[in-house]
Amino acid sequence: MVRFIDKNHSMGMPSLSRRQFLIRSAAGAALIPSFAALLAACGSSSSSSTPAGPEALIGTPTKPVKLPIYTDNKGIAAGLKPEAGPLKILNYADYVSPDLVKAFEAKFNTKVEITTFDADTDLVEKVRTGALTGDMILSSSYDTHYKLVAAKLVQPLNRSYITNFANILPALQDPFYDSGSQYTVPYTLYALGLSYRNDLIDPKIVDAKGWDVLWDPAYKGKISILNNDRESMAVALLRKGITDLNTTDPAVIAQAGADLKQLVASNVKVTIDVYKNVPTGTTTIGESYSGDMINGVSQLPTDGDPKTLSFWKPTTDKLPVNNDLQTVLKSAANPVLAHEFINFILDNENAFTNFTFVGYQPALAATTADEIIKRNLAPETLRTCLLTNDEVAKGLRIHALPLAQAKLYESAYSSFTAG
Amino acid sequence: MNEITATAKGVRHKQQSTRFWALFAAPGTAWLLALFVVPFYAVLALAFGHPDPIFGSAIPEWNPLKWDATALRDALSRIFGGDLGTVVIRTFTYVGITLVICILVGYPVAYYVARSARKSRGIILTALVLPFWISYLMRMLAWVNLLAPDGMVNRFLDWIGIFGGPKNFLSGNAVTVIIGLAYGYIPFFILPLYASLERMDVRLIEAARDLGASRARAFWRITWPLSRQGLMAASVITVLPMFGDYYTNGYLSGSPNTSMIGNQIEYYLHGSTSPQTGAALVIVLSVLLVILMAYYLVSTARAASSVALR
Repeated sequence: MVRFIDKNHSMGMPSLSRRQFLIRSAAGAALIPSFAALLAACGSSSSSSTPAGPEALIGTPTKPVKLPIYTDNKGIAAGLKPEAGPLKILNYADYVSPDLVKAFEAKFNTKVEITTFDADTDLVEKVRTGALTGDMILSSSYDTHYKLVAAKLVQPLNRSYITNFANILPALQDPFYDSGSQYTVPYTLYALGLSYRNDLIDPKIVDAKGWDVLWDPAYKGKISILNNDRESMAVALLRKGITDLNTTDPAVIAQAGADLKQLVASNVKVTIDVYKNVPTGTTTIGESYSGDMINGVSQLPTDGDPKTLSFWKPTTDKLPVNNDLQTVLKSAANPVLAHEFINFILDNENAFTNFTFVGYQPALAATTADEIIKRNLAPETLRTCLLTNDEVAKGLRIHALPLAQAKLYESAYSSFTAG
Repeated sequence: MNEITATAKGVRHKQQSTRFWALFAAPGTAWLLALFVVPFYAVLALAFGHPDPIFGSAIPEWNPLKWDATALRDALSRIFGGDLGTVVIRTFTYVGITLVICILVGYPVAYYVARSARKSRGIILTALVLPFWISYLMRMLAWVNLLAPDGMVNRFLDWIGIFGGPKNFLSGNAVTVIIGLAYGYIPFFILPLYASLERMDVRLIEAARDLGASRARAFWRITWPLSRQGLMAASVITVLPMFGDYYTNGYLSGSPNTSMIGNQIEYYLHGSTSPQTGAALVIVLSVLLVILMAYYLVSTARAASSVALR
């Protein structure tokens, strides 16, 4: 799955963040179709050297996967001293607190260099082709992580360095996508739901209708849906009560696509900019990530009231949840330092510091909704943006699919976005 | 004998001179090869290539004998009679309307500048070039701020109180997208047209006026025909990049109602596991544009031959 997820809009940040700027600059670079295609072409090469059958490495909640440890990729030994650095991190732009990075630099007497990427697919391609190099990935997706493992581009973690492992949310200490947490530890959590302005739409209507509110013609021209094939299709499936968000039934997928297409008549926006569009009133209600409204507080007009922002999410058994992963690259020049950084991120207090900047809930047991609100890091009215261990454990997961099935979703989504 | 030698020398001199001048084309040829021929072949290789079974990315097939046309066939069937037909028609419609706006707005401006006094011409030209100092994307973002529900346009409408409440200009509004396109591309239209109009011999218009033609008649019989080639060039320069545009819709609408073929290409190349489809769409779009370019080239050649005959 490709996520053009925008996680850079932290509280107190200007409306045009650096990451947005990068995305838009990249968009500009891709202006000429042939040039974009050339880049894609140049970034592709034969995969004959990679182990066969990577789709067997796709874990699902009902069929967790134990990722293989290859004999030529066993990770680092225990008891090594951290390298001098600089530590090179691949990450979404503005998706880690600069204060936290500085604290790490001071503690380990090193420097941290962050290289940004826009989307998971870009990350995998660029790491694979060597266009992106570094020591670790701070935020990758489990949808694409299996490919990195299959191609031996990431190395197993040595748990002896990650003393804060126990701080991780229990639901993610033995995740289905990496049973035993051999290669990854989680970074942040989020769910799919509806962000809205409660002064423009009655919360009772949203609670009563749920996803179906997007199909209500009363909100024509005021709705939006995420610009991601799987995550937008998930809404159409859930609206019909279908909780198998990874269905490979062509008829069900086609119907979901047709349902989405009905939204075209309502002038639906297909965008990730909900964090901004809802606070400013451009959109009244839209599908979004749970972190969007926490970041949206800073996007309100100067006279805006944070209490007007709300986030609706379905009940746990129908709630799509997700989390980002931290992992160390096989080619890391500073693998020990990378382990130390992961451990640093998993420290409870550091996680709170990071939350104040990124706005997405850390995947730790200590960073509960109660604690975050108690520390005044998010308003009580946005409690729904914060997830519980139970929600993460029992929520629905959108996971990677074999290419043939993924194309079914892509065609349906493409047909929808073509209008 | 001497005559023969002189002729031979002349031929040799001519050949050397031709080679010398041909050298001037070398940088342009190298540029075209590196940044057009090779990339376009890469697009072909991509469109006719295979998906990587592991990464889902496209593996280009450089050998034309092994090309697989499945992606192109799929793209064609989706465009002609399939679900992508609408987006192609919409793209042509938007580009066509935008071009008309560019002509209606840009032609008088270019004409005015070309006929202005030299001193003021410099100032006006600077003003025309001024938008280039700010990137296209930033200019589009400025429109987003202007047209937002609490933006200046809506505040003004609210203030005059005629239209009743703020308008949602940024959700699936075709007019917004077309105005955005026209705003973004009009400098590209005006400048080449100005260059053409500026070269026009004013004495021809004066002669027409002296012979009793009205201002309008002099325009239609002299200025318009003589500026047609400049108009064609300006149109081509404006229209070609506009066909591949996807971010104008992305920023000013973001709705499938107003999506263009560039949006589909962008999705398939950057957000899907089927970049071949994106490359195939690029090829289909390129072929359609080649047809337009061919018309331009033929009309230019005709115009050149008619001038030669005179």
